[in-house]
Amino acid sequence: MEVGLLGIGAGLAIGLAALATGYAQARIGSAGIGALAEKPELTGRVILLLALPETLVILGFAVAAMIILLLGG
Amino acid sequence: MLVPMTKVHVIGHRRRLESMLEALHGSAAIHLIDVTEDASVMLPPMSADDDQLRTIEELRYLKARLDGLLSLCSAQLPEPTRPVDLAAIRAQVDEVAPRIEELARRTRELEAELETLPRHVRSLERLLPLLPELTELEGYDTDAVILDARHAGALGELNAALDDTLAGNFEIISGQVDTDTVGAVLVTPKTAKAAIQSLLGRQQVNRVRLPHRFESVPFREAISMMERRLVEIPIELTGLREQIDDEIRRRPEWSAASRELEDRLEQLTALRHLGATPHTFVLSGWVPTPRLVELGRLVETEGAGEVIVEVAPLGEGERPPVLMSNKPLARPFEPLVSLLSSPQYGSLDPTTLMMIFLPLFFGMMLGDIVYGLVLLAAALFVRHRTRASSPRVAEISKVFVLAAIWTVIWGVIFGELLGDLGHRVFGLEPIWINREEALEPLLVFAVAVGAAHITLGLVLGVWMARREHDRKQLGTAVGTLLALVGLMAIVGVVVDRLPSGFMTPAIAIVVVGTVLLIAMEGPIGLLTGPLELMGLVGNVLSYLRIAAIGIASVYLARVANELGALGPIWLGVIIAGLFHSLNLVLGVFSPTIQALRLHYVEFFGKFYQGDGTPFQPFGSLERKE
Repeated sequence: MEVGLLGIGAGLAIGLAALATGYAQARIGSAGIGALAEKPELTGRVILLLALPETLVILGFAVAAMIILLLGG
Repeated sequence: MLVPMTKVHVIGHRRRLESMLEALHGSAAIHLIDVTEDASVMLPPMSADDDQLRTIEELRYLKARLDGLLSLCSAQLPEPTRPVDLAAIRAQVDEVAPRIEELARRTRELEAELETLPRHVRSLERLLPLLPELTELEGYDTDAVILDARHAGALGELNAALDDTLAGNFEIISGQVDTDTVGAVLVTPKTAKAAIQSLLGRQQVNRVRLPHRFESVPFREAISMMERRLVEIPIELTGLREQIDDEIRRRPEWSAASRELEDRLEQLTALRHLGATPHTFVLSGWVPTPRLVELGRLVETEGAGEVIVEVAPLGEGERPPVLMSNKPLARPFEPLVSLLSSPQYGSLDPTTLMMIFLPLFFGMMLGDIVYGLVLLAAALFVRHRTRASSPRVAEISKVFVLAAIWTVIWGVIFGELLGDLGHRVFGLEPIWINREEALEPLLVFAVAVGAAHITLGLVLGVWMARREHDRKQLGTAVGTLLALVGLMAIVGVVVDRLPSGFMTPAIAIVVVGTVLLIAMEGPIGLLTGPLELMGLVGNVLSYLRIAAIGIASVYLARVANELGALGPIWLGVIIAGLFHSLNLVLGVFSPTIQALRLHYVEFFGKFYQGDGTPFQPFGSLERKE
């Protein structure tokens, strides 16, 4: 397959995953800050919740790496 | 590790209550339990009498006043001196407070003036171009208004309204002051002042209101007066603040009194947690078992034979508070564990594990000799500077000392010195993986680290479940562990790292693990079991972030080096320096968050039991130190 297309595919894999993560983190972040304003002791939980969607972008990274490594030869 | 706790009852004669409370408060060894929540104490809670309530109110009032005054001091407060005479302090506060409060009031006024004057200057400066046509007229007032250019029609309405009121005895000069604003100056008879005020209030215009002292001054003069004030005010402010600081710094006993009051209030408010009869009191609480003997001795000495301490039976469902006590090297990681939530009493304290893995993961992500050394120097500097003033920051900086050491070690392993600069200039070669080129081994390494870390978490989960005789938890942990081992074996066979003969047993282990997971949950396990398995794969893949963040850091460093190589050498050094600094800041922030996340979500999720109540001794330890 064309290297350019593989590159675009890999870029889309991580780019779309990053957008999804960003969207989720924006919603969680705003809710989390609201919660922290009332209960500062929740800091750890909020960091945890905020970090959860990052798995999406890591999976996107894994797929992008697989596209390049396995298909790109 | 978690310090074992013993529940105790301190029982004694009420005449010893005050001295006993003071002694216990000083020792900071006991975490009070409210008697209403302690089924083993059959006494009603102590109710404060009128005298005590009055004393509490008085002390609170004095503390609020003192703290209010102390907060006005912008300089560092003097070291408190003890003991203090609260009656003398009260008299002193009554005498000095009005003076300080007056100084503070003037400070606030000047600060407000400093804030608003530039706005008035700007408004007047915009109106100045309209003024040459004005002449100073005896018996006439000048008012200025500004309005949005889109509502310039309001000026016509104002003109008509003024004409109705003053029958032509006025003048309006208007003009564009900038693209969005129209300004107008009204000249009206002084006799009609009240009518004009109410008219302007009704119109859709924004009147330029000047502070009182500038109201009767011509605009030009007002501007220069305001500019003079803007120079004078900061000098006056400095003088006032110095006076306030001086008044407060001359009384080092005030900070001591504030602490003393806090202690007294804590002791008085503790009374409602106690049980009492007309002649005896019972105080229920948790004591760290190693301090039990010390508490016994204290009660014996202070109680003079009229107070005893006895070990109380543990009530059903009662959970002791949690006090972590780790070796000095691991101690800085305790707040990081508590940030999530304190561990439950009797569960595993993961602080030591965090001390081992958190800096290790951090180093794997940042992995650069120079970045590590810079971070090490910064962490040691912060530790040195804050050791006396802020011990908590000094403790946390130890986390970064360890992280920096691992960063240097991984920098050597990856052969990175400011990215690829070490290779370009000194021919530095990696000992193991070149992160810039060998993507595949790096990814495999990250996943392997994840698998190992999660396996450790699961083994701890199995151990915890066995210790607590929790069969369901044990089955789930063993099932997950088997599934993970089986999955790793399957991957090993697929990538030709294990002989193909391993495939069948590996699949069998995964099936056994999954069935165990399903069996533990009952019918709903048919749904949750496979989901759990997928989550487990996600957990392991999550460790790919170690590789991903590392690669991002390497490439940013490379960009810095390549940009630096473009121009003349002096410019190159500046540009590369800036980019490397940016990379270092990102490189410290991001791996910290990611390493914490790997612990909180992936690792702790397998064994950690949180939601413990932190041990909060009566008379806080921190303040005693």
